[in-house]
Amino acid sequence: MELALGIILGCCALGAGLAMIAGIGPGIGEGNAVASACEAIARQPESKGSVTTTMLMGCAIAETTGLYALVIAILLIFVAPNILVDILVSTIGAL
Amino acid sequence: MKKVDKTVMQETIFVFAFILIFSVLMEAVYLILGKWDLSILWGNLLGAFAAGGNFFLLGLTVQSALGKDEKEAKNRMKLSQMLRLLLLFVVALIGYLVPAIEIVAVVIPFIFPRIAVALRYFFIKKKEGKS
Repeated sequence: MELALGIILGCCALGAGLAMIAGIGPGIGEGNAVASACEAIARQPESKGSVTTTMLMGCAIAETTGLYALVIAILLIFVAPNILVDILVSTIGAL
Repeated sequence: MKKVDKTVMQETIFVFAFILIFSVLMEAVYLILGKWDLSILWGNLLGAFAAGGNFFLLGLTVQSALGKDEKEAKNRMKLSQMLRLLLLFVVALIGYLVPAIEIVAVVIPFIFPRIAVALRYFFIKKKEGKS
């Protein structure tokens, strides 16, 4: 029982950690996009408004991957262990 | 304090409006499933404000980063993204620790701004098509 619990909790934590690897990408991507936007605005200062709007929407979309990863990680840390432990306990109880 | 850009404000209001609509839809789904209680409502409120606030902070970062040189803008965005993810994690942690809040209802609204942005794209396309 303890071993099974340990494996469940360990795997949940490991899964959450692996999911958060996806959180690295959006930061780098957003950084590159904003750097390019800075360059674009330096070349054409009159296009600042449209560049800001496009930039904002682009960043929001780029960030989604990180948010999905965060949501999965949160669910794996806070929600999944309770459900899995309940399943384990009911399975052992049925045996 | 620096003035908030008009574009950032406009987009944030748009995203907040969509978050409100999706939150109502989410509450309706919980009601239909028969799983609605006050903890869902508190969770939804917390999650919705965190998601909208996250978008607003993103806008502020973009606004301030656009005035900087390339390297600084890059670093600023990376730092901001990390801090905002941490903020959302703290919000989820609050949802987990406070018994009067349902954590799943906190987490689901985090995805709403993405849907709002996707729909915004279709609105722009429609407007362009009309003009």
